[in-house]
Formats: sequence, C-alpha cells, structure tokens
Amino acid sequence: MSRVRIRRAATLASASALTLGMLSTGLAMSAGAASTPGVTAHTVTIGATVPLSGIAAGYAEVSAATAAVFDYVNAHGGVNGRRIIYLRKDDCYNINALGCTAGVGNTPTLTQTQTLVTQDHVFAEVGSLGTAAQDSVIGYLNQNKVPDLFVSSGSSDWNQARYPMLFGYQTSYQAEGKILARWILGHKKGATVGVIGQGDDFGANGLAGLQAGGLSIASKDQLTYSPLDGVTGNFSDITQALTTLKGDNATVVVLDSIPPLTSYIMAAANKMSYSPQWVVSSVGSDPSSVNNPLEANAITLDPYPAANNMTNPWNVWLRKIITKEKNSHAWFPNFYSGHFKGILDGNMVYGASEGLAFVEALHSLGKNVTRAGIVKAMMTTHFATPSLTPLSYSPRNHQGLQGGAIARILPESDPTQSPRFAALLGNAEYTTGDYSNSPIIVSKQKITPIPGYLK
Amino acid sequence: MGTFLASRVMTDIFGGLATGAVVALIALSLVIIWQSTHVLNFAQGAMGMFATFVGMNLVFHGLNYWLCLLLSVVTGMVLGGVTERVLIRPLYGKPEINPIVVMIGFLGVIEAVIASIWTTNITMLPSPFSQIYYQSAGHTILVSPFIFYEVALVAIVVIAIALLFRRTNLGLQMRAAALAPEVSRLLGVRVGRLLTLGWILSTGVGTLAAVVVSTGQVLAPTNMDGIFVSAFIAAAVGGLESPLGAIIAGLAIGLTEQFILDFWSTSIAPLSGVIVLVIGLSLRPQGLFTKHVSRRV
Amino acid sequence: MFRTVSQRYPTGFRLVATVVLCAVALAITFVLTPLDDSKLAGGAAMSIVILGLSWLIGWSGQVSLGNAGFMAIGAYTTAIWANHHTTSPIIWSLFLSTVLGGVSGFVLALPATRLRGPYLAGMTLAFSFAVAPLAIDSRSLTGGSGGLFINFLNSPSWFANLFSGSDALVKANAQWPADVAIVVAAVAFFFMANLFRSRTGRALRLVRDNEVAAELVGVNLQRTRTLAFVISAAYAGLGGSMMTLLSGSVTPQTYGLTLSILLLTLMVLGGIGTLSGAVIGGLIYSYSDNIVSIVNKVTGVNPTSTFGANLKGIVFGVLLILTMMLAPRGLVGLGSYLRRLVRR
Repeated sequence: MSRVRIRRAATLASASALTLGMLSTGLAMSAGAASTPGVTAHTVTIGATVPLSGIAAGYAEVSAATAAVFDYVNAHGGVNGRRIIYLRKDDCYNINALGCTAGVGNTPTLTQTQTLVTQDHVFAEVGSLGTAAQDSVIGYLNQNKVPDLFVSSGSSDWNQARYPMLFGYQTSYQAEGKILARWILGHKKGATVGVIGQGDDFGANGLAGLQAGGLSIASKDQLTYSPLDGVTGNFSDITQALTTLKGDNATVVVLDSIPPLTSYIMAAANKMSYSPQWVVSSVGSDPSSVNNPLEANAITLDPYPAANNMTNPWNVWLRKIITKEKNSHAWFPNFYSGHFKGILDGNMVYGASEGLAFVEALHSLGKNVTRAGIVKAMMTTHFATPSLTPLSYSPRNHQGLQGGAIARILPESDPTQSPRFAALLGNAEYTTGDYSNSPIIVSKQKITPIPGYLK
Repeated sequence: MGTFLASRVMTDIFGGLATGAVVALIALSLVIIWQSTHVLNFAQGAMGMFATFVGMNLVFHGLNYWLCLLLSVVTGMVLGGVTERVLIRPLYGKPEINPIVVMIGFLGVIEAVIASIWTTNITMLPSPFSQIYYQSAGHTILVSPFIFYEVALVAIVVIAIALLFRRTNLGLQMRAAALAPEVSRLLGVRVGRLLTLGWILSTGVGTLAAVVVSTGQVLAPTNMDGIFVSAFIAAAVGGLESPLGAIIAGLAIGLTEQFILDFWSTSIAPLSGVIVLVIGLSLRPQGLFTKHVSRRV
Repeated sequence: MFRTVSQRYPTGFRLVATVVLCAVALAITFVLTPLDDSKLAGGAAMSIVILGLSWLIGWSGQVSLGNAGFMAIGAYTTAIWANHHTTSPIIWSLFLSTVLGGVSGFVLALPATRLRGPYLAGMTLAFSFAVAPLAIDSRSLTGGSGGLFINFLNSPSWFANLFSGSDALVKANAQWPADVAIVVAAVAFFFMANLFRSRTGRALRLVRDNEVAAELVGVNLQRTRTLAFVISAAYAGLGGSMMTLLSGSVTPQTYGLTLSILLLTLMVLGGIGTLSGAVIGGLIYSYSDNIVSIVNKVTGVNPTSTFGANLKGIVFGVLLILTMMLAPRGLVGLGSYLRRLVRR
C-alpha cells in the first residue's frame, strides 16, 4: 500500500502444505450446519491482523479509517440490513513481543489469524496489513476457505492462481516503478539516475519496475539499505550509498523506502549538500508521515486525490465520517493520535477506500451472503472508491489498483502548524495486467460518484 | 588542506568521532549509575527518550530550543531520582539480576507510555546549528557546525562531571559512598541521598545525550536503541568503574565502526561491538580501565 | 542443603515422573480446541529455551542476554536442513540444531565465561543485537529479511485416524505438533532434572555461591562455567528448532534483543532455576495475549485504541517489577510462600 513497508516471502513453496491450515471450514460450522461462518441475520463479522503497537504502529490509522467507514455504514442501517462487526487484531507487524506472542511457533500474525478463524469465526479478513505478516498466513486462510480481501501491501504475492480467495489492493511495486520511470524519462532525459531501495523484495521489485519502464541504471548506482536500519539505529549503509551517488553525479534518485527512512535519507543528503531530484515510491512518500520540509518538490505516485483537495466529493465525505470517530480513550493523554483531528491524510484515504470497497462488494450480494459469493462479487463489482484509477479484479488478476497519478510534494511554509500535502500533476496513469508487457494507459483522473446508499 | 581533510581516512575519523562522542556520553551516564549503585540501567536510553519527548515536543509549540533542552534535562533528572527511590532502593543487597530485571520491566513500561502518548508522529526536531557539512573545493569535509556543538557539549559535560567527582567535597563523598557505604555512613555521610544524586546526575547526562541524538532527526521512541547498545558495550570495555575508560572506549567504538564500515564491509558493522568487546575484554576481563579487582569470597 | 534435595528422588523416580507428566499432558491435548493445542505447542517449545536460560542464570549465576541468538542458530539450522532434505525425519533437524546451538555456545563461551556479571551481560547483549543484521545480510543462506519457509509438521495418517467427525483432520493437524513439542520438551526436562541433581549441577552452584571454595575443593571454574554455557545454548538451539517446525518459517526480525529480553522476563515470572518455573514461563508466553485481553476487559480499555494496544507493555512491565519486588522467586516461589503462610 502506499506507506506499508513490504517484505516479501523468499519462498512459499511449502505454503500449500500448511498443516494447521487443514482446519477446514468444518470447525467454524459449529454455530449451525449450513450457515456461512460469521454471518447472522443481522451481522457480518470480519477481521484483520494489523499493527496497532510496535514499530509499525504508525499504520494503525489505516485500519482505523476502515473501521470508521463501517461505523458510518452501521449507523445508517448496515449493508442490506446487516451490521458489519470489524475485529482488528494487533499482530505487532509479526514481531514477537509480550502480549503479541503466538501459540504456533513464534509468529503473532499466525496466532491472531487462527484466533479470528477458529474462535471469532470471521466471514472474511479485510485489510490485513504487511507483506511478511500476511505471507505467513495466506496458506492457512486459503485452506480454511477464508476470503482474504484487500491486503494492505503492494507485493505481488496476492496475485497467485493457487490462492483463489486472496485479493490484494495496492498498486504493485513493479507497476509503480514502471510509471515513475516514465516520468523520469519524460522529464529528466539523459540524467544519471540512482536508486536506494530497501534491501528486500520491496526494493528489488521497485527496481525491476523502473527497468521494465525502460530506465537504465548503472549497477553501481543501484543501492540498498538494510530493513533493520531503523531498528539498530545504524544508518551507515545509507551514508555510503549517498556518497556513491553524489560521487557519480546522480541528479535523480529514486527511493523505495518507508516514510521514516525517506526522511532520514533526505536529511543525510542535505548534510552532504546533495540535492538530487527525489522520486519516491508511494510507500514512503506520504507527506504527513514523512513530515520533513526537505521532501518538498519530490515526485511520487498518488493513487488517490490529494488529501487536501476539499473540492473532491470523496474527501468531503471521508472527512465527515472520520471526524465522527473519537479516540476512545480521551482520558489518557495522546498528543498525536493523528487519527481524526479532522485532517485527512493519505493513510486514512487508503484505509477508508478499502472499507468502502468491501461495503460495495457486500452490498452487491444482496441478502444472500456467502464466501463463494463475495469472491465472485470481487470480480464483478464496479467499485466506487476515491482511487484515481480503476479498482478491478479478474480471475487472472487479483492485484487491485494498477497505478495512480504523478504528484509533486508541496513545500510547506510552517512545518509545525499543518500537515504537508502533495499536488497531483496531471492525468492518471496505470498499467493493466502483467506490468512488464502491458503499456501504460494514460487517462483523465477518475472521480467516481459516491453511491447513493452511502450518503 | 581541503583535500587532506576530505580524504578517506580523515572522513572516517571525523565521522567516527562524531558518533563516538555521543556513545561516550551515554556510556558515561551508565558508569555514573554503576559507580554509585552497582546497577546496570537497561532503561537508561528509554528514560532519556521519555524526558526528551516531554521537553523537546514543546519546540513544536514554539518554545525556544535551549529552554526545551533545559526542561528535558530537568525532567530526566527528576525521573532518575524518583526511579532510584522507588524502584532501586528496595533492591540493594539483592542478587545482581534483580535490579536488571526491574529495569527491563521499567523499560517496557516507559516504551509503552511513550508510544501511547506520542504515537505515530514522525517529526524532524530542528537543529539550532546547521548540520550541513563544510565543503572545500568540491570535497565534503565530514564536519558541520552541529558536530562542533555536539563535541563541545560532550566535552563540557565530561569536564564538569570530572571536576565534580575529583575537586569537590560532594564528589569525594559520592565516591566514598559508592566504594564503602558502611564506612561512609559511620563517618556521617548521608549515603542514601548520594545514591539518589548519582541517579539524578546519570539520567541528566543520559537525557542530554538523547536530545543530541534526536536533534536534526526524526523524534522517535526508538532513537536511543542502537546507540544504547554501543554505549553499553563501551561502558563494559572501559570497565564500568572508570568514567575516563567509558569515554575512551566510546570514542574507540565510534571510530572502529566507521573504519570497519569503510574498509571492510557494511554487513560486518553490527558485529563491530562484539569484536571490540571480545578483544578488549580478552585483554582484561574486568574492563580495560578498571584499577582494582576484587573477588567475592 | 542441596545434598538432601539431590538424594530425595532417585533417577528412576524422575523417569517415571517425567513419563507420567508427559502422558497427562498428551492426554490433555486430546480435549483441547485446536487453538489451545497450537498455543500449548508454542509454550512447550519456549519452555525448553527458558529452562536452558534458567539453568545458566539460576544455577551458574551467569546473566546472559544472548540466548535469542542461539535460538536463531537452531531455527535457521532446521529451516536450511529441512529445505535441503525435505523427507528427513524431524529428529535430525532437532538433533542438528541442538548440536549447532551447543557448538556456537562453546565458541561464545571461550571469551564469555571469563567475564563476570555486567561484562557478560554486555557481551551477550552485543551478540544478540548482531544476529538479525547478520541473518539479513547472509541472503543466500538465510533468505534475507524474508526468511525461510518450510513444510508444517504434518500429522501422520495413523495419528489422524485416531479422530473422527467432520473436523477430524483439523484437530489432528493442530494436535500433532503440540504432542511432538510436549514429547521433545519432556525429554529436555528429564535431562535437565538429572543435571540439576548431578555432580555438575552441584559444582555449578558452588561456583556461583563461592568461587574460592569451589576452587579449593577441586572444581575447574572455567570448565564448569563453559559447560553451563554450552548446555544453555544447546537448549536454545533445540527450542529455536521447534519454533521453526511449529511456525513453518523463520524470519530474522524474530530473533533479536527483544526476544532475549522476553526470555529473561518469562524466566523471572515463572521462577528462576526451577523446572516448574520454566513450564509456567512457557505458558505465560502462550497465553500472554489472553492475559492482556483480560486486563482490557477488566479496565474497559478498547484494545484497538492507541493506549489499549500499548497496554501490554505496561501490564508486563509492571508484572515484572512487582514479581521482582514481592516474589523474586517468581510464580513458583509465590506458590511455596503461600503454602508456608497457610501452614503457619
């Protein structure tokens, strides 16, 4: 997703043999023989494993915005008379901590997923977050025939034929890289281009996308940083990378990084008096997350209308529902709960869009809600969400969004007073199908009208 | 001159010393606590970060940087004093693992409280001095006004602490209280108060280090994690009894890391702490700068 | 004092006790839900590591923060071995991981056992801090930051045939790993119970309490300490191997300083230096999320709020501090303390 850090599983060869995944739907049937798990006459129970604490707690507002959409829908009569019960389970980004531990081995995400499936009997998972975290459970969910919808991550792992009930949401890193490459080739012709990517599949896929987009990058200018830099506090690989790029006179530098590292890299370059044109993956560019004046004028891809654009009907609607949501523990001081101070940011639009998409798929089912039905609806629904490019799925393509619009981060005069925003530069661009072969389609930015039943 | 100052070796030396200075400062704060109360304070980094959050957040509300710095250090000192009185005092004379475990528990509490209050915001704490490195004929010299400030601050603190311990009556009493609490008590020294004072001083220094680490950086709860480990190693290599040892070892670790990185490999860098420790402690298992060795009988 | 303890029960009794307790635990798994089976499996694996740490800290007085590093060595050994020898029985994985854990323990023990208290803590801390970056960097061997995936522990057909009904396979596949973990843990606990009562165990306690006296009666300090370190590391390797087998994956982020601190926490909460303390520590590990959700329910804090999500750190931090202040021997000690109180 924009802003979700990604780590893709090295191999998933064994996932199909996931033993514990053998828990067939039979177990969830205990409530009643032929009924669909998680569905009663008046409710649909769904769940998600998301980081609410720990190093990725910053992404908590994504699922909070998803929940806000459901709250709004429930307050207005639910979907076809059913209220949506949304269970968000903290998996600490799949990193072990007390209270976030696991029964099976030591993976919190697997334990929380098991709890959702065998104890809470969820109908589906919606908006579970994190590549590595979700990679560790897609086999389990598949074997239990639990639909896993709108995974918040731009990995292409969600697009696999052997997982028919698994659907991604975010533009793949490859597709994004390809679109960014097009901008660079169009606007910075002949420039020396360098890349600093996260030292995992996020960085690798982003680079592959840039190259598929026709950009040539010298191998000595393809640099990485360790995903653990933020944990160990040792950023020496970044210093080295910047020294190399400065030495090679790279005037365009692409970052496949998460927001705190985007901020760090820009600060480190500034210290060296090195100011290339930054081109930042949507994962690490959300200006209110990066919150660094040095990000001004960086180029990025934005799948949504700029969050400060209050002429966009979706933003008006989202702001209305999100400000309704109150931090549930006002008695405990929380100076930057961020969520819901009445200001929209990219994370919230992202999370709310996922919630909207699920509501629409569920709505299309009518009264008869089944797992097979929702999977089919994923491919037939014409989703109306804030995204600028079409959100569509087919039996062969479960990726989700295919692109967005090129955007420029706005300079901000007073960094302490208001959040930063991006300005969209023009048309929406997206690829269809296989990113490496299909051409980039350029169209006008799409503003889907808000469906009547949501108003 | 510019070419020389921008040369590879000099760049490494500048970079190493800049990191090492902060490592040394945190190591010093650990040594002060160890000297006065024989406690390994695992929560030192988190306590410093907590105080930093309390004070430095006011920068974003328009308060002067230096005022915020002062406020942070005072908060840190109060936190240190209270911690000693409430958490550490009941544990004197207990096995050495007890205070370690208590401070680990406290670490969990502080981190959770920081995360609860100041969640999800990533904000650059502006620096009072420019962080941009000097340029000379197209070469970058890895020194900036901020680094001068950082090193000067460390030097001032170190000298002040040294003067306090060596030249004042209070310092003498503190050393006596740490070395021989029973005898000191007989001589009329208020040992309890001095132990608290040791913690107050130490967390004050630790907070100063946390503020320096966070300046010009994203203000994040994890800022001290990595550098705390280096400082811990420095304190151990230097011998926990010796403030001078901690400072020298801190600088040495900063330099070693930098040279290993540049001349060997980035991947081995996390191991540099282990390497320094193994070599240093193989020479003298009780730390390089420890004067006396006692054995428990 | 420990002579009377050591002579209270002969080895034969301990063997019978282990078999009986193991059988009881296996019987219990038959009535548990699949989720509880899985939790028990993780707890059993963790209790092995906690026991190894408990032996090192409780019996030899060496405070180590490096056991997560040895766990990582066991975990990766198992994953790499299983990926290259997919049909090899898991006993080989377990054996190899234990041995490699022990060997790496020996290597680290060479400098480590010369160190006392804080110096040892510093060195082992540096070791566990370095493990994850190294694992990420050795990409060809460890799969980098994505880690490695292996086959889950499959229930053999004879075991699955014990169950009937619509969810038979579900139950069998959740229970089988739990039963394997319990048997492995039982073997590990039996060995340690004997070690506690052995010459080495006694020598270790003497070294911990009085080095000079130990030397006077002819105990080789260096060798005894090294042995304690190696055994502890081997237990961590075994536990790490179980963790990989149970979760079907290994990722570098799992095995860092946080896990070392977690191990120490669990050991202290359970009770330092005892078998039952390690079991309790393992159970706390498995059910920590339930403990937190109980606290959430009692206090009415919404678990998805910022404060609610971070409440677990506060709960366990406070629990740890209170344990050390009020019952330094952990929950085990609390039990005997209460018993004495009642008798009086």
